[in-house]
Amino acid sequence: MSSTLSHAVWVLRGNTITTCAIFGVFCLCIFALFAPWLTPFNPLATDVANALQPPNARHVFGTDQLGRDILSRLILATRLDLIIAASAVVLSFAIGSLIGSFCGYLGGWIDRIVGRIVDVIMAFPLFVLAMAMVAVLGNSVQNIIIATAFINLPIYIRFARAEVNVKRDMGWVEAARASGHSDLSVTVRYLLPNIMPAMTVQISLNLGWAIINAAGLSFLGLGVVAPTPEWGIMVAEGARFITAGQWWLVAFPGLALMLTVLCFNLMGDGLRDILDPRMRT
Amino acid sequence: MSLNRREYLSGSLALGLTSLAGPTFAQDRKATLRHLMGGSVNSLDPSALGAARECYSVTQSVYDRLIGFRRKKVDGQWTFDESVIVPELAERVQRSADGLKLTFHLRPDATWHDGTQVTAEDVKWSLDRMVSAKSNAAAQLSSGSMTKTEQFVIAGPNVVEINLPDANRLALPNLGLPFSVIINSNLAKRHASADDPWALDWLKNNAAGSGAYKVETFRPSEQVVLRRHDNWKGGRDRKIAFFERVIAQTVPEPATRANLVERGDADICLDVQASDIASLRKRGVAKILPISPTNVFTHISFNTKLAPFDNPKVRQAIAAALPYEEMFEAAIFGRGRKLFGANWTGEPPTSAFPLPLPNHTDLTRASVLLAEAGHAAGFDTTFTFATGYAAVAEPIAALIKESLSKIGIRVTIQKVPDAQLFTMQAEKKNLPFYIDTGSAWLPETFYFFWIYYTRDQRWNLGNWTNARIVELVTAARTETDAAKYDAYCKEMIKILAEEAPSVLTFQAAIDGVTTPSIDGFTYHYHRQTDYRDLIRT
Amino acid sequence: MSVWRSIARRFIRRVISSIPAIIGVVIVTFILMRVLPSDPAVFFTSSSVTAGQAEIDSMRKKMGLDQPLPLQLGMYLRDVARGDLGNSLTTNQPVVKDLLRRLPASLELTFVALVLALATSIPLGVLSALRSGSLIDHAVRFLCTIGVCMPTFVSGLMLVYVFYYLLGIAPDPTGRIDIFVASPPDITGFLLIDLALIGDWAGWRSALDNIILPACTMALFVLAPLTRMTRASMLGVLGSEFVRTAKSVGLHSWRIVVVYALRNALLPVLTMAGVVFSTMLGANVLVEKVFSWPGVASYALDALMASDYAPVQGFVLLMAFIFVLVNLTVDVLYGMADPRVSIE
Repeated sequence: MSSTLSHAVWVLRGNTITTCAIFGVFCLCIFALFAPWLTPFNPLATDVANALQPPNARHVFGTDQLGRDILSRLILATRLDLIIAASAVVLSFAIGSLIGSFCGYLGGWIDRIVGRIVDVIMAFPLFVLAMAMVAVLGNSVQNIIIATAFINLPIYIRFARAEVNVKRDMGWVEAARASGHSDLSVTVRYLLPNIMPAMTVQISLNLGWAIINAAGLSFLGLGVVAPTPEWGIMVAEGARFITAGQWWLVAFPGLALMLTVLCFNLMGDGLRDILDPRMRT
Repeated sequence: MSLNRREYLSGSLALGLTSLAGPTFAQDRKATLRHLMGGSVNSLDPSALGAARECYSVTQSVYDRLIGFRRKKVDGQWTFDESVIVPELAERVQRSADGLKLTFHLRPDATWHDGTQVTAEDVKWSLDRMVSAKSNAAAQLSSGSMTKTEQFVIAGPNVVEINLPDANRLALPNLGLPFSVIINSNLAKRHASADDPWALDWLKNNAAGSGAYKVETFRPSEQVVLRRHDNWKGGRDRKIAFFERVIAQTVPEPATRANLVERGDADICLDVQASDIASLRKRGVAKILPISPTNVFTHISFNTKLAPFDNPKVRQAIAAALPYEEMFEAAIFGRGRKLFGANWTGEPPTSAFPLPLPNHTDLTRASVLLAEAGHAAGFDTTFTFATGYAAVAEPIAALIKESLSKIGIRVTIQKVPDAQLFTMQAEKKNLPFYIDTGSAWLPETFYFFWIYYTRDQRWNLGNWTNARIVELVTAARTETDAAKYDAYCKEMIKILAEEAPSVLTFQAAIDGVTTPSIDGFTYHYHRQTDYRDLIRT
Repeated sequence: MSVWRSIARRFIRRVISSIPAIIGVVIVTFILMRVLPSDPAVFFTSSSVTAGQAEIDSMRKKMGLDQPLPLQLGMYLRDVARGDLGNSLTTNQPVVKDLLRRLPASLELTFVALVLALATSIPLGVLSALRSGSLIDHAVRFLCTIGVCMPTFVSGLMLVYVFYYLLGIAPDPTGRIDIFVASPPDITGFLLIDLALIGDWAGWRSALDNIILPACTMALFVLAPLTRMTRASMLGVLGSEFVRTAKSVGLHSWRIVVVYALRNALLPVLTMAGVVFSTMLGANVLVEKVFSWPGVASYALDALMASDYAPVQGFVLLMAFIFVLVNLTVDVLYGMADPRVSIE
């Protein structure tokens, strides 16, 4: 473990980008945690008399169509976006890696059936599948998370299955089995932790992707419902005002969205270097 | 930018993105009208089930009807006037004294696009088709007491009679509506079959008309190209249309539509965004059409059969708690006519509908009413709007949620695809409280009430049953005495204002722009462009 | 010869094994559409002023929606087997006809985007592999990552704003061709091919102008994985035995890079390009919306919002079919271009 840590420190020292990205993610988490105390204005309070003000000393990022402070909405949106991304990814990771590990470990007909189901999901145009799922379930935050998690499932199932498949016949797995552990216990207590590092990279990259996905759904009217602040719907609403020259409505949420995804992706890259030396490139 | 974009292009470093622009193009461009829309033309038969509203732009010019409506100038803007009938295919119309017979004398020289003559048989076939075929026309014509083919009689060469069971006020105006197109029956019959005697399938993709334009190409949901019919007789002053070619194109992204008109690449668009209008006006490069529609209204309706909205006091409380001014300013940028803030009580000053109702934002009164209704602590409810109306409804929803929270009503906002809202409206379940728009082609007060406040059907906005309203609507339908008719209408409005099954908010202006050279735009009840009106100066 | 036979055998096996997946897709989409909370019968009676329950019921009957679900599914599967995907209620056309007319638009856009992406990412990937660890490497990685961080609708709107609205050098984003320049013939549906065939170069130019912005938007989004793959596979090849041997015998360095290393490094990149292609085709609904591109994805979106079952089902089936087809092609190509063969 300490070798991993020192390796990490070594990689980070040589890699300013990854360090910045990790710092960025840390800041985002701070924003998300303390959002209600950090917003200069009430993000939901309307003030129609002061609508559509360009950035100024009072409203640093300007105000929107209903006179709400964009900076405050951005900060509060961090929370919701991170929740959507994290829940979707955790959900698909938890379910996907469990199913995948069991398939990889047990093999046989269960593996084949799951493999077929995964094939079916993969053959779908995934974004359209997410759209259809939200249309069916209704566009609440919970359903956006479910849809995003669902279309991510195949990746985790396949990933975990492949990893476990390689490792299940290794000596230490045999040893665990010989010492009386059940299949369930071997998978959950030995195999899963062992494939975690490789999965972590995938998770980090997927977090960014989940945010983009949710924003895309919002843009098409199948996402988060206003007035809840969320970057995607802020961009979608703001897009209406670009041609009117009110660029700040779309620029700041767009930038926030981009920077967040950027942080996650760069962090994922960095983590790949640290945690998964095999895949280092 | 004073330079034309294409001139600018040919002289600039265009990074390999240049286009060729020759003199023939410039000429062609001048004689061509390019119309952009967000929706799409999905049928050439305006009455086909599922035909989009955008179809009327095309079908009004491709087909003629027996009659049309006059246009008049109000505040410098051409607007339709359904009270004066003008000829299209019929050069003369007589209405019998008892109002039970309409006689149409056809133009003897009118021809179809293929050059053959328009006959009384064509008219009879088209009328029969309207009441018999599975289309939207049958329901529409029934509002004018036309339901059976026996009512339509050929009374001589170029003379057609319609016999009516009652003196319905709407019988004649109904024949000027988009569904009442007259079709080349010989051509259509050649494409009819035993399963489809009215050629419904063929006419969806093909035109058989006599109107101002012929269809050159039709790509459903993408674009329609029209070519002028140079032998058209149904026109105002018997003149042919101005433009030689019309291109109607679907452009889903609204900002792009505004851009195109601003740059002169397109000529007219009736659905840019309200947010773009102000900046377009400021830059002064496109002509903003000052259209306040007279036959459209935005409403917030309650399901009057669902608790707690079955209690009129609750509805009145919400009517007193809605932030009217803010909604008007923030959602439509003050572009339109307010339907709130009037000062009358009891009977309204006019019988015209929609009109401003005596609703004001008064939270104190709202709280009192809510307490009287037994909901002093408020309640939870859901406010619904359709994705297609989000540009207006989304800010309104936010304002309503905020305002109602002050009197203790906790609102969850629900945004659903348009098709889903339609289903919810039809099923009348799970839809306690929502925003939508309504319009009536024939802006008669009793007609509005007949569509929106009577009968068990999808359009009954408040799922509302009021016996007196039904009586009044039935009486007004055949009433010929103007004073009595006015009295009926005023009473309907009075009941609506008191019972508040729905609250009227505003009539949003149509967000239309044209290039500065386009003139003659006329606002029609169907809210689409009529290419026959337009000229380039 | 035996190589061909094994490829053929693999091909047939893959075709057979993909059939259940496609049937699965058809059934899942069918069920997904039926559980949509909106009733298409209501949507398509909504222009009627008397839209009462009786009218809606008769519409449901006409659309066959009053039948039990398994029966509807059976009928649908029978129709699909006959090549009939039903009729679209929004466009009033047979779905097959709509899809066939719109598919070339989507394919052309995706193809151009992919070519653009490959043309950019391969040199970038090679460059960062050659200078791995350097500032250039980091800069390339950073730039590509930015591309993948922008949702396509944001980058698309931005490109339109800058290149059309501010600079005026791009054509209006309203479809595939400037209608005043040419009216495309209906030969293959691929405008760049059709217009070249009839020799209408002004039209061809216009079609090219129109495709550049949307293609760039899509290319931006897939730059990162392609560049990363090129870089990784290039690094792998550069470190391999034969390149070191080639270096030691004194071959010129760029010759090694281009002729030996790149040739071998491209195979995994092309494999990935196959996957990227089918993903792009299904996921470009946002780009098609922003650029009014008359493709299949925006068609499916409109249908979904209108609860129009047949087009959505048809679209998903088509995409699944293309997905399988692309995978097959990649598989076959891989078999033919086994790296061990080409190294010699």
